[in-house]
Amino acid sequence: MGELLQSVFSPATTPVPLYTRLAISVAGSFVLLALLHRFLGPRGRRWLIAFVTFAGGLYLGLEYFLPVREQVLWPTGIPNPNPARKANILSPGIEPLGIMLSVILAFTVGLGVYSLCQVHGRNVAQRRPGWHNSLAFFLAMLAMLIFGFWAHYLPKVEPPPDIEPWPEGIYEVLFNGLFMPLQAATFSLLAFYIASAAYRAFRIRTAEAGLMMAAAFIVMLGQVPLGAWITSGLPTSGALAFFRLEALGEWIMSWLNTPAQRGIYFGIAIGGLAMSLRIWLSLERGTFFSEQG
Amino acid sequence: MGGLEHANWFMSAVFGSMCLIIVVSVLLAQRGREMFIRRIPGLAAIEEAVGRATEMGRPIFFSPGLSGINIVTLQALAILAHIVRLAATRATRLIVGVCDPPVYPVAEEAVREAYTTAGRPEAFRSEDVRFISDQQFAYALGSVGLMAREQVATNFFFGMFYAESLILAENGQALGALQVAGCPDPVQIPFFIATCDYVVIGDEYYAASAYLTREPTLTGSLVGQDIVKAVLICLVLLGVGVATFLGAAANLEHNFLLALLAKGN
Repeated sequence: MGELLQSVFSPATTPVPLYTRLAISVAGSFVLLALLHRFLGPRGRRWLIAFVTFAGGLYLGLEYFLPVREQVLWPTGIPNPNPARKANILSPGIEPLGIMLSVILAFTVGLGVYSLCQVHGRNVAQRRPGWHNSLAFFLAMLAMLIFGFWAHYLPKVEPPPDIEPWPEGIYEVLFNGLFMPLQAATFSLLAFYIASAAYRAFRIRTAEAGLMMAAAFIVMLGQVPLGAWITSGLPTSGALAFFRLEALGEWIMSWLNTPAQRGIYFGIAIGGLAMSLRIWLSLERGTFFSEQG
Repeated sequence: MGGLEHANWFMSAVFGSMCLIIVVSVLLAQRGREMFIRRIPGLAAIEEAVGRATEMGRPIFFSPGLSGINIVTLQALAILAHIVRLAATRATRLIVGVCDPPVYPVAEEAVREAYTTAGRPEAFRSEDVRFISDQQFAYALGSVGLMAREQVATNFFFGMFYAESLILAENGQALGALQVAGCPDPVQIPFFIATCDYVVIGDEYYAASAYLTREPTLTGSLVGQDIVKAVLICLVLLGVGVATFLGAAANLEHNFLLALLAKGN
């Protein structure tokens, strides 16, 4: 079994086995999905999803909790390829499982593109307000697709030394010259949004808001040279050193903020555990599949 | 330092005990034991927010965050399903903007199922569950554009958000939308508090499906997680006590408590 897994999931080095495996996988997946769709009703589908969820969770859970050894021999007799990493009997399946998951998730990218084309195609076809933005979307997507694939996959022709290869050049302009600066420009907008959000947050309307404002004032001043200058008259050691703004800011961050954050993280971790248990045991039915009962 | 690749015996014991407490609590709830859940304002506001959109005759926008299919997103989709059921019964349109491609089909199915459960399968429009972009800021700007074009009355932000949280919520605020947000990441919570009307904080986020549906199984799980939290608080206090009086920190130089007690004598 282990040898079979190893041979199936080892990378194909020549084109023929690669394309054969690809064709078999795609055809097999379609046949399997068609059969499931044809013969499984909603109830059967629900049971199948619950079973796969439980089995997957059980496998990963057991792999994490089962005892491990430094140098374990795989069930097939193949030695642990990475002795530095401890492993148990279920460890060999983790990597193939990860690859399978990546392949399944990769198919959903096509669904995303389909959704975009559906929405924007309708905008263009029906000449809805702003339809030219949808047209720009199609042009941008096609340009990125054509020049991206061209630059990466088509055989490269060596141009004269003083001329830049143009498919790569256009791709560079589209990605590094347009897309990345647009992302950076959007990110820089955050500075203004933070200023306007801070103005609203720091308006003192309640005692809690006043407390927050005071704490924020101390912490912010403690971070800048001006803060250190304001309280520079206080000694650097002894009881009064605590009231230097940089020390006070540090104290608020370490003794008040950090424990509060850790408390929230504790709650989040336990909430996540409870949610995971509900998903694993398919108890969250009312949400995703049908009403409970 | 790398993470723990495999559990040690202590980890297994703690984890097993926590799971046992939650499962026992679920079983007790299923057998009819009354379980109390305190009021969570952020979750209680969901109905009001949907009602506002209905009164104004304008749509609702829901963002399930940026992360892929994980526990955070699944909880966001659970909340989405509840909101869709509420919106469907009031004939209010709801638009979902998705960032991660694998989340898109799951969100679409959850919304379709919710419309069917609400008895209005014909109200489901596939173009209302949209994949916007898998790039953080492209998604943020796409969502903001969508909010502005559709003149949304209510925004829901539930899921994992990063720097784009403020772009989304500030623009929603500028549009005058009523906003309810929930994010398990404490780093983003201040931004949402500054810009949203209601915010679900920390583990309240995972209490959402139990709070909204009041199903015994989910309520039992919620009460179970509260018991686990109480046990962990006791363990932390015990750890502080042991470290203070018996551990490596048990000397006057590094132990503020012992130093304080010594000063008192």
